Amino acid sequence: MKLLTANRLTDGLVLWYADGQWVEDAAIATHLEDAAGEALKAEWAARETEVVAPYLIPVTDDGTPVQRELVREFVRANGPTIGQTTFDTAKQFKRDEVFQ
Amino acid sequence: MYVYDQFDHALVRERNAEFSDQVARRLSGELSEDQFKPLRLMNGLYLQLHAYMLRIAIPYGVLSSVQMRKFAHIARTYDRDFGHFTTRQNLQFNWIKLADTPKILEELAEVEMHAMQTSGNCIRNTTTDQFSGAAKDELDDPRPWAELIRQWSTIHPEFTFLPRKFKIAITGATKDRAAIRVHDIGLHLTPKGFEVYVGGGMGRTPHLGHLIKSGVPGEKLLSYLEACLRVYNRYGRRDNIYKARIKILVSALGPDEYARQVEEEWNTLDQAAIDAPYYEIDRIRSFFPDPAFADKAFDQAALDRAKAADPAFARWVRNNTHPHKRDDHVSVTISTKPVGLPPGDASSAQMDVMADVADSFAYSELRVAHDQNIILPHVAKADLYDLYQQLDRVNLSTANAKKISDIIACPGLDYCTLANARSIPLSQEISKRFADADLTDEIGELEIKISGCINACGHHHVGHIGILGVDKQGIEFYQILLGGRADEKAALGVITGKGLPAEAVPAAIERVVRLYLQLRTSPAERFIDVVERLGRETFAEALHEPA
Repeated sequence: MKLLTANRLTDGLVLWYADGQWVEDAAIATHLEDAAGEALKAEWAARETEVVAPYLIPVTDDGTPVQRELVREFVRANGPTIGQTTFDTAKQFKRDEVFQ
Repeated sequence: MYVYDQFDHALVRERNAEFSDQVARRLSGELSEDQFKPLRLMNGLYLQLHAYMLRIAIPYGVLSSVQMRKFAHIARTYDRDFGHFTTRQNLQFNWIKLADTPKILEELAEVEMHAMQTSGNCIRNTTTDQFSGAAKDELDDPRPWAELIRQWSTIHPEFTFLPRKFKIAITGATKDRAAIRVHDIGLHLTPKGFEVYVGGGMGRTPHLGHLIKSGVPGEKLLSYLEACLRVYNRYGRRDNIYKARIKILVSALGPDEYARQVEEEWNTLDQAAIDAPYYEIDRIRSFFPDPAFADKAFDQAALDRAKAADPAFARWVRNNTHPHKRDDHVSVTISTKPVGLPPGDASSAQMDVMADVADSFAYSELRVAHDQNIILPHVAKADLYDLYQQLDRVNLSTANAKKISDIIACPGLDYCTLANARSIPLSQEISKRFADADLTDEIGELEIKISGCINACGHHHVGHIGILGVDKQGIEFYQILLGGRADEKAALGVITGKGLPAEAVPAAIERVVRLYLQLRTSPAERFIDVVERLGRETFAEALHEPA
């Protein structure tokens, strides 16, 4: 399974693909079968006025990115881990941190 | 400080118009990301982990109160209310919208600033001593020379696409506070002309620069630099990004052979067509006069009474003031590193206060130091307590300059797409562990420098204690280096012991520091002195938890 992620062109914010649209909250990202993920990545790579550099993240059975991607994607999904709560994506969405 | 003339204004205006058009074409889809990326980078705009980051050039770290106030305005209006001062004496905004960048650059141009050459394989912002023009130990002021280099190197057609980025640093004092030995070119301004060091650098393959020529007269500086760059531009390794910096070329050729080629090139150049005429050098010098120093009556007894009544103020005076060429003035370090907070960050409110105190107490001038602190270069001693109280109200009075909690840290994996590991949270934890100001004072001068990857933006190679974040199969580990220093006795630190997980690093640092306190012969013997006297291996065992 994979997650599809990118940055939005206009403001660079981290986006996650969820049920046919892009959202800022990783907690609701769609888990994609490998082939479907590849097809969506190719489709969105061509739509450059919307997102920049979409890529797939392999996830384990519990939906967490595989170990080699984990820290980076944890930071992308939850915001900088430097204690400045105004940047904390998890708090913004009133949820626990994802990808623990 | 330097004031733009009609050419500077026209250049920045035209560049902004060009980039504004490029942004519009990217947003409309006329330009692809591949086409746009090199264009935005040439204007300081990166796409980082969470958003666009705009890096603004602060020429040789010199800043007016008007410019600092503009940063505050940009932070409030276009970012998330803060900015980050960098080890390149620049400023980064971390949450910028692409469509806002033309307007931001327009606002910066109003205060004679831009973001050109803060990225790309060109000559970057020349850096210098944060106390230039003020320090008691200064031989000559490096700022006019840094400005001359800025004018020569800005959009230099021959050096806009070098094999890799190129960084020049200048010092004009006996103590090197500009880290010249770890720059592509380091210049030491002496009464007999410039000493030119070439081939220094950090990153993947650290090198100390080699002295290739002494006594280069100021009026010949540009042609000599041009010869240095030409040899590099001709033979630098464009085939391999990891071997493309000048340090690799100098190392491969040998410093003597590189120097010979530079000399040969220099002698073939039309030097008169390159070097600035003396009247141009004089014109640039005229922008850097001493301020109209106020002859305020200084009452030493009153200062002593204030220090006695307020020990925190006494500590701040002791740690955060630097000797000035005038006995009735000092230079002040405003620490951006309160315990537990990200090094180099300042909120818009703090920026406004720094601008205000610069107007009230420091002739409207500020500096950004490469250690990510802010400097007020000229402050009358009579004003110190008033200044301290105003800084204290906005958490800018931490008395830790050059102390163990005055940590340099790159943005690391919390922001940077290149990083392998986080730097800022580690610096926060270390500074919390050494939050006791008495302990910090007892330890004395100790520089910790943290990088989140091998690119070494956090200068870990030249930290007394350097920390390098690495990725070990998806887990952050930190290698500890001991014995580095960036001053006039520059040395590269050496990895000591095994890599540690983040949670083990603060305790490891504390064990090393406790051992140092036991081993030093007197409080005057600094940590770096003991490492050099006894060898770094003396501390290797202390890095690891006793079995």
